Order: sequence, then structure tokens, then C-alpha cells
Amino acid sequence: MNRLLPALFLGLLFQGALHASTQVAEERLRTAVDEVLAVAKASSNPGSLAEKLHPILPKYISFEAMTRRAVGPGWRQFSPNQKKEATKLFTTLIIRNYSSKFTPGLNPEIVFNKATAPAQGRVEVPTTILSQGSRYVVTYRMEDSEGWKITDVVIEGVSLVANYRTQFDAEFKKGGAEAVVDSLIQAVAQKS
Amino acid sequence: MKFGTSHRALLAGIVSATLLSGCATKKESPPPASASVGDKTSDGKSVKSKEDDLEEYGVLLIADPLEPLNRATFTLNHGIYVYLFTPISKGYKTVFPKVVRTGIHNAYENVKFPIRFVNDTLQGNFERAGLETGKFMVNSVVGVGGLGRPSDHIPALADIPSGNTGQTFAKWGIPHGAYLVLPVLGPSSVRDTVGLAGDYALNPVSWVTILFGGYAWTMAIPSVNTLRSLPVQMDIYEAATKDAIDPYVAARSAYVQFREEDAAK
Repeated sequence: MNRLLPALFLGLLFQGALHASTQVAEERLRTAVDEVLAVAKASSNPGSLAEKLHPILPKYISFEAMTRRAVGPGWRQFSPNQKKEATKLFTTLIIRNYSSKFTPGLNPEIVFNKATAPAQGRVEVPTTILSQGSRYVVTYRMEDSEGWKITDVVIEGVSLVANYRTQFDAEFKKGGAEAVVDSLIQAVAQKS
Repeated sequence: MKFGTSHRALLAGIVSATLLSGCATKKESPPPASASVGDKTSDGKSVKSKEDDLEEYGVLLIADPLEPLNRATFTLNHGIYVYLFTPISKGYKTVFPKVVRTGIHNAYENVKFPIRFVNDTLQGNFERAGLETGKFMVNSVVGVGGLGRPSDHIPALADIPSGNTGQTFAKWGIPHGAYLVLPVLGPSSVRDTVGLAGDYALNPVSWVTILFGGYAWTMAIPSVNTLRSLPVQMDIYEAATKDAIDPYVAARSAYVQFREEDAAK
């Protein structure tokens, strides 16, 4: 009996913590979305938007985690310099791709659906984006390490990180870390 | 932001308090909850090294013995999409006001009810088949032949995952077979190509074509039908292949993920 009570109490608290974590993460995502939409509204073209988002997004998105997971186990064979280079290039690529999704003057409607916590320190926030009569389901995967940050974006079931993981794997098999960095340099250089 | 940080501080406080009390009452076997909470407070620093998450994502594979042919078709399709479909889709958006586009879209989705109903039934999902029937009735009657979609306002009918033949095959455990890039239609697999034929057979729009055989119908219906789903499809295609390392591999892995997600519904 004496032991049961604290355990019960703990269980309740744990439940509360799980609930709170989805709330904190969702709140964080809302802040990010609001800030990005405000910036998007104020910029006239995708190029200038990308430039403006560059200093803002790292607050909300963990580009380091995204890059190393997109590369996978081969990451261990990257030199510190290659790691830095790959992260920088991948960040540029993602921000450019993301910025191109905004049409100047259009304000998409974003509905936040019920967030779930698949594991401790992890939250998934599904959202529905309504824009110009089209409807997209976009899920944000978030993790808590030094604050809640986005670690993956899943558009209609297609995970951004998983998609690059498959592509980088092919490059890595061709020529190791160097080939991965080269492929990134080429992708960034390509006019979007 | 402020809310977030203060909330976190509070949470950390509660967590450490519970940890302390947990330790005070019982040392040898702490309850499982407190163990994982303990991991969290020192997350990413002492417990987990930064490179422990490298296997977080696996490589998405699908047999692709026809890769050279597929790549050629992919390149052809890419040209068709960029130089033909995207301008057409933009024109469609400009010519028809949003209300009309939404009406056309709704009517086509409504009339494709047999595809969803038959496949839900074949998958043994009778509840979903019943909901689909309800949705079809509501939208046909209240929504004037499906132009409106009043079912959106009924919670039970608002978000029914739609069944299709490829999904049924997946549920039955039929493997994908080889990856196949179809001309114009794009990424598919042998399983889904057969599924596509099933969907075609179950689509009343194709019944009209078969029954009347009129050239006007066959031309008009598929083109409007194709047009109205173009904007979304073009956007998804673009999202997956733009800024890609290898657009062909990107589209292929997106296809595998997309189908897995669909089969899990």
C-alpha cells in the first residue's frame, strides 16, 4: 500500500507530462508557422523569402539531425569538414525548396490536427493545408533536445528525410562522403 | 515562445521532483515511468550520443529491373509535366473560378463511389463501405448530384480514407512486383498497374465511355477528370523531385512511401 501510492501518483504525472509535451511542441510549431507566414507575406519573391528565412528557420528546424539521418550510417565516414559542408548545403537546399512553396499574396489556411506522442521526447503534429481549393496533409515530426525542433516534414505520407536518405545512399555507394557532398553541390547549383 | 520555455522549466521541475520522490521511496527498482523520464531530462547529452540516430531512416527499396527503360519514360514524362501539364493546370486554375473547380472536383469524386465501396468490401471493411454509402447518398441528394459536399459537415463522413484496387491487393499481401514508370501516368508498380485497371473498371465514368462509345464523351470526360486532379498531383510531384539529388530516385522512393501510407489506411 505504501508503495502503491507514489507509483500511482507518478503514473498520473507521467500521463500529464506526455499530454503537456504534445502541447508544448504544438505551441512551438504554431509560433514557427506564424513567424514564417508573416515573413512570407512581406516578401515579394521566393528568392528573397529564402534569404529572409535562412536566419529564422534554424530556431525551429534541426538541420543537423535532418542531414545526418538523411545520410545514414555512412555519416561516420565523413570528416568534420565534410559534415559541416554537407549540413550547410542540405540546409540551403531545404530552405530553397520550402520557400518556393509560397505564392506571394496568397495566405494558405493551416488547420492543426490532434498531435500525438509516439515516444518520449517525440511529437507528431498533423496539419491540413488548404490553398487555392487544394488540400494537403502535412505532418511535422518534432523532437525535444534543447527545446522542441522539427526533425522531419511528411507531405502526403512522403517523408522528406526518408526521400533524401534513399538518394544519398545511392551516391554514397558510388563514391563515399565525397560523392554525397558533390551531389549536394550540384543540386544547390542547379537553377530552381 | 515565452510560454514554451516557462512551460518547459516547470516540466523539468516536476520531473526532477518526481525523480527525487521516486528515489526516496524505493531505490532498487524504480517504476518504468520514472526511468524514461530520467532519459528525457538529460536527452541528447549524456544518454544519447549525437550519432546514435543514423539508422533512424532506412533506404526505401522496390525492385527496379527495368530501370533504364523507366528512366527514359521518366524523362519523357518530366518533359510532358513541365511543358504541357503545368501550363494546362495553371490555365485551368485561371479559366475556371474556384467555386466551379471545387464543384467539378466534388462531382467526380462522388461518382467514383463504386471504386471505394467495392474495395472497402473486398478488404472486409464493411463499416467503411457503409459510411461511403451514406456519404454518397448525402452528397448526391443534398449536394445536388455531388456538386456540393455537405458530408464534410458530418464528422463521421468527413474523412473516410478512400479505397482503391491497388490498396486491396496490398491488404491481400500481394507484393509490389517491379517498379514501373507508365508513360504520362507516372510511377507505378506491376501490382498497382493491375489495380489501376480495376479502378478503371469500377469507375462509372469509364462505364459511360464503354456503354455509349461516343467519341465526344470519351474525349470530354477524361480530360476534365484529368484536369481537375492535376494541380494537386503536379504539386506533389514537384515537391518530391524539385531540388532532388536524383529526381528519378526521389520520385521512386516517394512512390513507395505514398503507397505504403495508402495501404496502411
